[in-house]
Amino acid sequence: MLVDFLVVGVSIGLVYAIVALGISLIYSGLDIVHFAHGEFVMFGAFFGLVLVNDSGLNYPISIFLAMIFAGLMGVVVERVFYRRLTSKGGGYTVAGMGMIICGFGMAIILQNIAFLIWGAEGHAINVDFGTPMKIGTVNLPKSYLWILCVSVGLMAILHLFLKNTKAGLAIRAVAANKDIAYLMGINVPLMISLIFGLACGLAAVGGVLIGPINYVQVEMGYLILIKGFAAAVVGGFGSLPGAILGGLMVGIFETLGAGYISGSHKDIYAFLLLIAVLVIMPTGLFGQLAKSKA
Amino acid sequence: MLKVRGVETGYGRLKILRGVDLDVPEGSAVALLGGNGTGKSTLLKAISGLLRVWSGEIEFDGKPIHNRKPNEIVKAGLVQVTQGKDSYPGLTVEENLKLGAHSRNDRDKIKADLEQIYEFFPILRERRKQMAGLLSGGQIQMLVIGRGMMAAPKMIMLDEPSAALAPLVVLDIFRQINKIRAELGTTILVVEQNVRMALLLAEYGYVIHDGRIHIEGKASDMIHDENVRNAYLGGTVVETANA
Repeated sequence: MLVDFLVVGVSIGLVYAIVALGISLIYSGLDIVHFAHGEFVMFGAFFGLVLVNDSGLNYPISIFLAMIFAGLMGVVVERVFYRRLTSKGGGYTVAGMGMIICGFGMAIILQNIAFLIWGAEGHAINVDFGTPMKIGTVNLPKSYLWILCVSVGLMAILHLFLKNTKAGLAIRAVAANKDIAYLMGINVPLMISLIFGLACGLAAVGGVLIGPINYVQVEMGYLILIKGFAAAVVGGFGSLPGAILGGLMVGIFETLGAGYISGSHKDIYAFLLLIAVLVIMPTGLFGQLAKSKA
Repeated sequence: MLKVRGVETGYGRLKILRGVDLDVPEGSAVALLGGNGTGKSTLLKAISGLLRVWSGEIEFDGKPIHNRKPNEIVKAGLVQVTQGKDSYPGLTVEENLKLGAHSRNDRDKIKADLEQIYEFFPILRERRKQMAGLLSGGQIQMLVIGRGMMAAPKMIMLDEPSAALAPLVVLDIFRQINKIRAELGTTILVVEQNVRMALLLAEYGYVIHDGRIHIEGKASDMIHDENVRNAYLGGTVVETANA
């Protein structure tokens, strides 16, 4: 039992971690908290649904294409709608407050667009994963294995990209200080688009990954956003390793809670963890009290 | 090489610069002097594109650059060396230096230039894997100068290289700037409160006061000028166009 729960918890946790990574990337890169991020998970899941169920593409290619589509969609949304607000100053300013409202509004707009296209009922992404793997006494459905491999692989690629490439270094510079990044000759607006597109692409992967397990539905974004949010806060807002650890903790905690205490209250446990962590460590596990922004 | 003509700008509705004229000929070193709050940094921001110019013109290398994006101005070869506190403390020394070369694509040349910077500042090579936030004040100043040079600029603008440094360290930093100038022939605009050091480095000087250029002249003359001292110390300034 425990091993089963842990496998499920880690897998779900990795999906939360991917969403939280995007939220943290956007927070450190654009100084905004993006409340429409869950809708990009939802759109990603629908892209995956269309690609797998209707177009008959195989699963990995669908994940990749959904990531690209959602990434491009994110770039457009950021350029057309958010840029007007963020260019007037984000973060803790009054303009930052406007950005939060704008995020909620965008979430509602995206939900309704999805409703018009795909309707209200839920669908599952039909992927034939084959028979569950048997390890000892544990029956491990391969869908969880997919989540494990794809998300860990993606995190490794993201790490290498940020650490070892010129664009990755530029992204870190933009996240730390935009004016100085500009003086380095970095095209800051372009990098901001890249950061946002990357984060939305990650969200879409999360959506396609849970698509075969949970139902893909227009309102799925909200709960995932809140869980990803909890994960980001538990790990320390803006910290990428923190987002991963936070996601895993939320996933495991909620699965164990659902398994041993009460399954019908599954969604409460993430927030109990959130409150507990914030009481003990108000900045989250990897958070800094004041971000080192020169 | 750099021509500033009648530049006016400021923050919000607050006008800081009230028509600044300034020339930096190719190959020369020019000092811009002034106390706190006189508009030195504002002028630098206007030139490097971080601040919109309200009126007036800035020309670099024969082309107008006012209100172009900062990254385009860097690409044109005009690089601002920030103050030491504006390094990236969370990135390593080498990452900071590599960021300086962001606008370039000639990989081999970048590598050679990195070596050259390490020759100029051996301490940076020693500490290249460490976070820039762990360097001492003088080392951080070397880092930002090195980072500016990594862009292979035609001209650099130094923003108070002596800020918050001990006198001996300041002497060392200016010696290094002089050496870079002698070996690479880079044109320099140095913005300073340390009047003596700046005028020893430069051939020509400007004193900015209340958003206008109040005094300009040859550095060798200015260094003995009472008015320069007064202007810098915030005393009464006698209006003179020449010195």
